[in-house]
This record gives sequence, structure tokens and C-alpha cells, in this order.
Amino acid sequence: MGKLGRIPIKKISLLSVLSMAVEALWSNRLRTSLTMLGIIIGIGSVIAVTSVGQGVQKATEQQIQALGTNVMLVLSGAARTGGISQGFGSATTLTWEDARAIAQQVPAAEAVTAYLQRGGQVVYGDRNDSTSILGVDLNYPDVKEIHPKEGQFFTQEDMDNAEPVVVLGSKVQSDLFTSGEPAIGASIRIQNGSYRVVGVMEAKGSVGGQDQDDRVYIPLTNMSSRIVGNNAINGTGISGFWVKAKDQVQLEAAQFQVTNLLRIRHNIYPPNPDDFRISNQIDIINTFSNVVGLFTVLVSAIAGISLVVGGIGIANIMLVSVVERTREIGVRKAIGATNSAILQQFLTEAILVSLLGGAIGVIIGVGLAFISAQLFSFPFVISLWSVFAGLALALVVGLVAGVIPAGRAAQLDPIAALRSE
Amino acid sequence: MATMIWMEEITKSYRLGENSIPILKGINLNIEEGEYVAIMGMSGSGKSTLMNIIGCLDRATDGLYILEGRNLTTLNNDELAYIRNQRIGFVFQQFNLLPRATALENVMLPMIYAGVSKTQRRRRAEEALTRVGLAERLSNRPNQLSGGQQQRVAIARALVNRPALVLADEPTGALDTQTSEEVMELLTDLNHQGITIVIVTHEPDIAARTRRIIHVKDGLIVG
Ligand SMILES: Nc1ncnc2c1ncn2[C@@H]1O[C@H](COP(=O)(O)OP(=O)(O)O)[C@@H](O)[C@H]1O
Ligand SMILES: [Mg+2]
Repeated sequence: MGKLGRIPIKKISLLSVLSMAVEALWSNRLRTSLTMLGIIIGIGSVIAVTSVGQGVQKATEQQIQALGTNVMLVLSGAARTGGISQGFGSATTLTWEDARAIAQQVPAAEAVTAYLQRGGQVVYGDRNDSTSILGVDLNYPDVKEIHPKEGQFFTQEDMDNAEPVVVLGSKVQSDLFTSGEPAIGASIRIQNGSYRVVGVMEAKGSVGGQDQDDRVYIPLTNMSSRIVGNNAINGTGISGFWVKAKDQVQLEAAQFQVTNLLRIRHNIYPPNPDDFRISNQIDIINTFSNVVGLFTVLVSAIAGISLVVGGIGIANIMLVSVVERTREIGVRKAIGATNSAILQQFLTEAILVSLLGGAIGVIIGVGLAFISAQLFSFPFVISLWSVFAGLALALVVGLVAGVIPAGRAAQLDPIAALRSE
Repeated sequence: MATMIWMEEITKSYRLGENSIPILKGINLNIEEGEYVAIMGMSGSGKSTLMNIIGCLDRATDGLYILEGRNLTTLNNDELAYIRNQRIGFVFQQFNLLPRATALENVMLPMIYAGVSKTQRRRRAEEALTRVGLAERLSNRPNQLSGGQQQRVAIARALVNRPALVLADEPTGALDTQTSEEVMELLTDLNHQGITIVIVTHEPDIAARTRRIIHVKDGLIVG
């Protein structure tokens, strides 16, 4: 019968749908941007948190690498509960003899290195540098896994004779010497004494907030006799010593053995407090990781809440928009829009608002992550995966938020819609 | 000549609480292709209700409606949307243009739902607007146009998908005599080009411009 034949199902081009959605959102710019706020905050925090989390994780890994997982630090001074040490290491209770006893008597300890540390000035010609001066023994390079890149570390003979020789940290070298100027063999002044540079250490960067390159190393014997002056009662006073266990598993045993041996040597019986503190790298890192983990959970919760609130906001505004545009919907239907075309239009608007908010959120999140990375000096890591996940999340929120308003728009009766004011 | 509109015993009633209020009480109507028809009647007699059913915006409660040989009572909503888009052009008393869109965008709108390409849409919308004498007003929004101009944009929108039937429900109701004349001239012109036109009006001199007048009273055709 009909000269028209079967009725085809027309599909509107995606581009038309998109441009209609953009036009509708653009004509209500202020409302659109306010609607996006929740999504911006939500996605921004998701991105920032994952980025900071990954950055801190990477920093932690680097730290474990740098410090070694099988070392611990024993410091002079009383352990203080309920407060981060008031200057631990200041009262000299540990001695070099303690360190040597541990090296000999603690089976789990593979190597021990003692150090005595002070801040001080080093001077070369008319340049001077305020840095840390470390008197260390010969095991230091092995235990701390730092080695000279030029020249050499001092020798047993230097140690025995308390020779005025110095090994520079790489930062001190670049502070005192212009590039190309030879450091080895040069004479620098440390507290009125003249020291001959025998080596320069490789660069290690910052570990646990301490710049490993901003320091100079001299023989512990020299440090004790010429720079600090020995104030220990029996033996050579030191700031502390590092113990390297055979492996990570042995570290706990080593800690137990070191504690017992030191108590015996220092005549400490419970309940008297220890006059030393042991800090174990893994403990520090674990504490740090826990804090970061807690922070991540907290911000993720905030992100989740703002995404839900953002989604509700979009749904709400879209419902208002559908009511406001009832007549427009009627007109569109009168000129041939199918229900699914109307559904598509409003759904696209909801998704677009959400995606746009998500994209802005990603940018802000990346910015925040970058700033925190600079502020707290951990590596800035941004994974493409988290960006995609953030955008996908925004898309889902927009879709879910848009379903009810768009469905309502699609179901509007065209005549009633045309009659509405 | 082939039949454009064939209606048998079309009824329409609205539900009001528990009562069913009959508005159309058995319309029998036959309009041939190329006719130029006016529907007249008192306010509330059911003219708009009838027009909405003819235009596939509404469904009859009962009766048979055949448009261009196709039984519309059996079609689903999407199919009716297609008929509205492809075969019918609407002109309303209140113009019903999208306020945020320009004249050109308003006229392009029906072609979006017809799946016409963007360049085609633009070309055909410009053509339609030129045909109604608004070639200079393409980028004006409705609030920058006079009532007569807005109605001419609406007419351009109604004819841009090359419909077989144009329905105008009191198209001059919101216009002064002078612009009413212009709009009627346009519609007459369209009819001369073979488009079937049905106008609702209660102005006798508007109805007089058509070739056939149908009177509706209390939901029935009375001649
Ligand atoms: N959705 C509706 N529900 C109830 N009554 C309606 C509805 N639409 C129209 N009517 C009633 O139907 C009658 C006819 O309306 P209408 O067709 O618009 O008349 P006309 O266009 O001839 O003035 C009026 O009395 C109107 O109040
Ligand atoms: Mg009416």
C-alpha cells in the first residue's frame, strides 16, 4: 500500500548530539561549572591521592634501596617515650669500643661502623661551606654502601695515626671546587686544622631528609682527638653506629642481641632506662607507609563522598533542566525526535558535564600531586592508568546521574510538553 | 487523486479522575492530496485535539486513521516520530521556536532527526529560509525577530524536510492583519506547490483563503 514502504529507524549522528549538548551546556555556563564542582573535587582528589601514594611508595622503595633493609642505627642518648628525641645523640653514652664489641660478639651482625658527627665549616681558599663533619671508621663504605668516585677512602694507617685526611661528599666538592679543578690532593681547612683531600664520594642524594652528599668524612680517631675532644669516660665517644645484619631476617635477632649486649656493657638493668636508641629502617619505613596509607584511605573517602555528592548534584540539576526545557522537548518531539533521541541528548549532557569535570579534576589533581611532590620532596609520579580510571569514573557518575532525568525527558508527552509554559 | 487523510469514527476522551470526558465524538474525515482546508469552530470544540491526532502528536482513543495509505493506529512511538519528521510539518500559534537557537539552527533541527549531513542541513535550511523571505536573518535569534518573521521561520522549519502535509493550528492567532496576510500568502504558495495544508482558524477571512472549510462543533464535524 504505502509509497513509503517500511519505516526506517533513523540514527542521529553522534556529532550532532554532541554539539547540541555542548550548546545547551554553554548557554548555561555558570550552572554547568557549579554542577561540575563535586566531580572536579572528587576526581581531583582521586588523581592527587594515587599520584602522591605512588610517589611516596617510590620514595620509600628508593629509601629502602639506599639504606639497605638489613641495617639499623644505634644512637647515643636516652630513649624517650612519647616524644621524638630531644637531641638524641647529643649525650655521648656510646663508645667505639661498644661498636667493636658488637662486631665481635653479635653473631647476626655482619659489619658495624661507628661515627662521630658535628656540624662545622670547611674552607678552601676564599670559599667556605657549612656542612656536617663525620668521623667514621673504615667499615663505613661497606655498611653504608657508599664508595669513593675519585681517589680513595682513608686507610688503616690514616686511622691509626689520626691523620688529617678528608673524603668529601659530592656536594661539598661542587661547593668548594669549580668544575675541572682537582680536589684530590688539595688542602682544606676544618676548624683551624689543615686536611688533605684523599677522595670524593659518589652522589647518593637525600635519604630520610638527610643529604648524604652534604658532608665530609675524616678518620674517627682524628675527629675524636682534634675536632670534638673525647668526653666519654671509658673509651672513644661516638654519636652512634650502624649495624649491618647478614640479611633482613637476621636484623631482628641482631637488634635483640645488640640491645642485650649494650645493657650488659652499660650495666643497665630493667626498670632503668636504656642510654641508647635503636632505630631500624624497616620500622621507620613501615610507620611512614602506615601514615601514607591512612592518608590515602582518608582522602579516598573524601573523594568517594564528593563523587557521590557530585553525581547527585548532576542528577538534580539535570532534573531542573528537564523541567525548564519541557517546551523545548515538546518542540523537538513535534518535529520528529524519537524518545531515544531525547534520552540520548540529555544523557550526553550529563555525561559531558561529568567528563568535563573529570578532566578538570585530572588537571587539578596532577597539579596538586606535583606541588606536594615538590613540597615534601618525593618523586612526582603520574600514571596514565589513574588518569584513565579517573575519567572512566567520571563517565560512570555522569551516566548514572543522567539516567533518571534523561528518562523523564524522553517519556514526556509531546502535547503536554508543548502546552507547558 | 490519492487520499491524504482518512478518518473513521475517531474518538478522543480525556480521563478526569474517575470520569472519562469525550472531546472528539466520532470524526469522519477525508482529505485528498493537495487540498487546502480550514477547520473552524468555537474555542474548546476540539480543533486542536483533532489536529494533534492528524499530526501524530497524539493517539485517538478509538477509530481508524489512515495517512497516505498507512494505518497509523498500528504504529509505535518511534514510527510516529518518523512520520512527524518526514511527512508532516507543524506550524503553531506560539511559533514554538527554540529561543537559544538562531533562525538557521531552528530550521536545521528537523534534519538532525532525519540524519541529514551537516552541509546538506545548512544548504537546505538556507534554501527554506530564503523561500520564506528571511535570507538576511539566518543568524538572528527568535527574540531578535518580529512575530511575523518568527512564524515564517517556523514555516521554513515545517517545510524543510519536504513534508506531504503541513498542519497549522491558528498560525495567525498571534499576528496582526498585515503579517497574517503574509503568512497566509506563504501557505497558499506552498499549497500551489502541491503540499496538502490544513489550517485551524476562527477568522472567517483567513478561512476564506482556503478551498474547503470544515466546521467542528462539540467534537463532531458539522459540515
Ligand atoms: N489533556 C487534556 N485533559 C483534559 N482535557 C483536555 C485536555 N486537552 C484538551 N482538553 C479539553 O478538550 C477540549 C478541546 O480542546 P481543544 O482541542 O484544545 O479545543 P480548541 O482547539 O478547539 O479550542 C477543551 O475543553 C479542553 O479543555
Ligand atoms: Mg486550539
